[in-house]
Amino acid sequence: MSESKTMMEKISESTRSLTTGVDTRDVEHWVTIYIMGRGYSVPADLTIMTAMEFAGYKLIRSCGCRQGFCGACATIFRREGQYKLESALACQTRVEDGMCLVQIPFSPAEAAYYDIAAESYDYSVFSKHYPEVARCVSCNTCTKACPQDLEVMDYIQSAIKGDFESLAEQSFDCIQCGLCALRCPAEIVQYNVGHLGRRMFGRYGSPEPEHLKTRLAEMERGEFSSVLDALVGASTEKLKELYAARVRESDE
Amino acid sequence: MSEVKYIGGYPEHMRQSIEIVNRSRARRKDAVPAAMSAEQREETLQVHPDYAPGGKRELKIGPNKGDPVPVPVADLLESYPLIDETEIDLSVADHEVDVMIIGGGLAGTAAALLAQDQGVEREKILLINKLRHGDCNSIMAEGGTQAADRPIDPPDRHFLDTIGGGHYANKPEVVRALVEDAPLVMHWLEELGVVFDKRDNGDYVENWGGGTSARRMHSCRDYTGLEEFRVLRDEFRARRIPSIEHSPAIELTTDESGRVTGAVLYNLETGAYQVVSAKATVLATGGFGRLHIRGFPTTNHYGATADGLVLAYRAGAKLRDADTVQYHPTGAAYPVQIVGFLLTEKLRSAGAQPINKDGEAFVFPLEPRDVEASAIIRECYVRENGITTPSGLRGVWLDTPLIDAIHGEGYIDRAFPAMKRMYARFDIDITVDPVLIFPTLHYQNGGVETDPDGATNIEGLWVAGEVSGGIHGKNRLMGNSTLGTMVFGRRAGAAAAAYVKSADAGERTFRHVEQFVELLKGAGVDSSRRAPMLLPEYRGKASLARMIDVW
Amino acid sequence: MTSEQTSTTRAAPDTGSPKRTRLPYYPGCTLKTTGKGLEDSALAVAETLGVELVELPRWNCCGVVTSLTDDDLMRHIAPIRNMVRVQEVSDAGLVDDKRVVTLCSMCFNALKWSNARIVGDAEDLKSLNDFMYLEEDYRGDAEVVHFLEILKELDPEAIAEQVKTPLGELNVAPYYGCTLLRPKSIGIDDPEDPTIQQELLEIMGATVIDNPYKTVCCGSYQTVQDKYAVAELTHGILSHARAAGAEAVTTFCPLCAFNLDNRQREVLEKHPDFEPMPVFYFTQLMAVAFGLNPKCCRFDLNHTDPRPLLRGKGLMKEGA
Repeated sequence: MSESKTMMEKISESTRSLTTGVDTRDVEHWVTIYIMGRGYSVPADLTIMTAMEFAGYKLIRSCGCRQGFCGACATIFRREGQYKLESALACQTRVEDGMCLVQIPFSPAEAAYYDIAAESYDYSVFSKHYPEVARCVSCNTCTKACPQDLEVMDYIQSAIKGDFESLAEQSFDCIQCGLCALRCPAEIVQYNVGHLGRRMFGRYGSPEPEHLKTRLAEMERGEFSSVLDALVGASTEKLKELYAARVRESDE
Repeated sequence: MSEVKYIGGYPEHMRQSIEIVNRSRARRKDAVPAAMSAEQREETLQVHPDYAPGGKRELKIGPNKGDPVPVPVADLLESYPLIDETEIDLSVADHEVDVMIIGGGLAGTAAALLAQDQGVEREKILLINKLRHGDCNSIMAEGGTQAADRPIDPPDRHFLDTIGGGHYANKPEVVRALVEDAPLVMHWLEELGVVFDKRDNGDYVENWGGGTSARRMHSCRDYTGLEEFRVLRDEFRARRIPSIEHSPAIELTTDESGRVTGAVLYNLETGAYQVVSAKATVLATGGFGRLHIRGFPTTNHYGATADGLVLAYRAGAKLRDADTVQYHPTGAAYPVQIVGFLLTEKLRSAGAQPINKDGEAFVFPLEPRDVEASAIIRECYVRENGITTPSGLRGVWLDTPLIDAIHGEGYIDRAFPAMKRMYARFDIDITVDPVLIFPTLHYQNGGVETDPDGATNIEGLWVAGEVSGGIHGKNRLMGNSTLGTMVFGRRAGAAAAAYVKSADAGERTFRHVEQFVELLKGAGVDSSRRAPMLLPEYRGKASLARMIDVW
Repeated sequence: MTSEQTSTTRAAPDTGSPKRTRLPYYPGCTLKTTGKGLEDSALAVAETLGVELVELPRWNCCGVVTSLTDDDLMRHIAPIRNMVRVQEVSDAGLVDDKRVVTLCSMCFNALKWSNARIVGDAEDLKSLNDFMYLEEDYRGDAEVVHFLEILKELDPEAIAEQVKTPLGELNVAPYYGCTLLRPKSIGIDDPEDPTIQQELLEIMGATVIDNPYKTVCCGSYQTVQDKYAVAELTHGILSHARAAGAEAVTTFCPLCAFNLDNRQREVLEKHPDFEPMPVFYFTQLMAVAFGLNPKCCRFDLNHTDPRPLLRGKGLMKEGA
């Protein structure tokens, strides 16, 4: 088995800079980025997040899952020679030479307190909790800011129309980074409006399937108790036998 | 960057292999390799990082003395505390609560909600987060949640799939709780407003998972964990249950009987500590992916550093199955910016096949994860049929365009928006070209042993989620993690709520820490080794070399 | 006029030919919520008359109130973005006409006024196009019309043919408010003495009660600030209609409808002797006259229930 030991070493060696921090000796190409105005030379193949770490930042804010799901690493940046402020997720965006950036550590946006079971499933839920949606001037700044490329303005318009299904569809991939709300001139908290709408759709617009209700009733009646009792008490040998004898559900 | 020419996001030498893959697709579409026999699985597993020698050592002290665990885990479990107990004043509690929950992922958030449902006042609940409420692995779960809820799929089938996949090491009564509560969890999520993928007739879309004998995977596009988690968090916030962020628990407190009575928190930004008094503690701190065991990249979030295991072990909690690590078969291997990122198993459920450099399928796509991962490692490092990336990693292809070839154009767009988006950021179109994969450190299969309600061998301490052990045995199936977090988060929250009705706040001491330190000294452990780790170290070596501390 | 297969700019009644004229249709927010009675009845009436209204696949708020200041271009983004949507469906061949049909008279007013203002100023049009850089440039050749104008274009005979339940003895006072008529440059009728509703009501056999309060302001958004001030206006408008012999009024504006209908509650508080009066969306009455399924009228959303009146006149079956 000495060969597999070598194999593990090979794997470990190939990922060293990813798992223990980048060693300058491994770097071929460099770019300069400006973190909150201060310039740093960093390896060209890093993301904004890993470049900040290379530069020496121990991240506590503006980082989380590191894979584009949690929305913690909202970043505002400008490319050299451009006037536009762009937005991105630091963990999902490669550094570019001349990039000037800042991370948003926190979004102090309002989120409604509500009891979903007590809300009425119509447009009024939005005017009740987020009346500012009516101030949307359709400028689309939110859409431009969205690092997920969602049509944010469209889902706010769906909220105004009380169209929960469209709202859920359009806003579903939202990671709640807050950039839309931070840039909105009408001070709408798009991502929280979207979430309220999705939850309403989930509860009221997309009802629980019958087959789930049937199963819950069967469980309630204890229909599977004895078979589960037997499995819990079964020997490993018996379990192996039963496992091998399972019939895979047919594909169609 | 340099002279390397990129076509559709790939350098030329990788592009050549892609052309072979694209050419063999039509031939492979209906010719899927057969599933392995038990013997073949056994043989394939020999190259698994858990089985390949050199990765583990036996614990020298504590409740699991003599048990082998991965070396980095052993090093953390056998570490001195971060705090100097003489600097901490435990006599004054900054927070006096009934139920303290450490860790705000799906498990912890579910525990908080159930604790309130079961009668604990909201002000008497406190959720502790190392980083944000939402810095968790739950939010990154892509593929789905298992629940046996169709006539063809009774819960005993789910039980057998789970226990067989776990190599029969699972704790049967805990698995029973998992499969019995699964439909209940689905019902709960429906009431809270989670938007699941549904068919036109209102039934769930249910897909295959590796090692399952029925379609049982419920999904929310490829954002299942995100959708489930954000709904629970929204409910938590809407109910105004108190929480503290960016303040990890760095030590538990116990009374003279060994019962857990609270914790010491550390504000990562100010450096100040706080003391929490709690009648019951639910530990839901997640796993250990960021330990990069055996040098593997990981799918895990930034804070997955085994803190909960360390705290619980010091307090005398017994672990089980902590020797096995789940390597997800399909981590991204290219481009370098996303190495280790999760590519959901749902891709293979939908028909994507692992393919070697010669365009050949070499494994049944839905083996249990440990077997599938081993087959990919073998293809790269034993059979030498992998593709090497510019940064020196090896991998094989996952043929994503095959999904659209099977289900029709547009299927990937609808079912895998997260993945499509991630690759598009690096100029790769997964509907046109395959993606390069290699196993990635994904899940801590074992952890603190519990009963079906999440109770541990320590009074006052419950655990839920990845930090627990027993549900998954030696190998977890897809879709049983999000399910497990919620089943046992709910059960632990409810059990803790019942417990505090008749419990008093206990005395807060570091007695267990003192006793553990004595054991460490007795075992000759180097006093510079300290834990919990809190966060991994990724700073550049050059900048670290120049760091000084002047405050 | 009669139907002409070659015409693409005029709506034609259904002649049995599959080539019905498809017109782009902008609903507006209210018609998807409180004003559902207007939308559903209008769509049913349009279908009966062979006019296909194709809802814009994407649309946003109309802008509600047209900004009259020179330096507030931001307020024109919403209406002009909708005009971009009209251009999109037209370019894509999804409709046969560049005139977008509106039902809500507030939306009509906001879109048409803003469109005229921006299209008439090349510099402002360019500024807006530059700002909306994610969209195709708006070329400025789409128009805004109101559904009443489409109805007026139809052959009166063809409309009359669809009347299954003539409104007979129903005494109706048409009410116009402001936004269909003012400013004169965009209004669809004489702002001082409009008759467009009257003409159509007569085709449906109703007894039309004309009265000078038909163009008096309903109080508009004052209803949010001071509902009693609006209630006084409502009291005046409806009392005059009643005095002139009307049993109901008609309108095309959800805001007018709200003020005239829902504010009757406050009118009754201040004037206990006031006799409540049903307020119809114009197309609700058309649907009744056409004998369409009353479900499309959504009378459940009306504040003062008009069904007893309709039943009393034999225009609606018991239980319907």
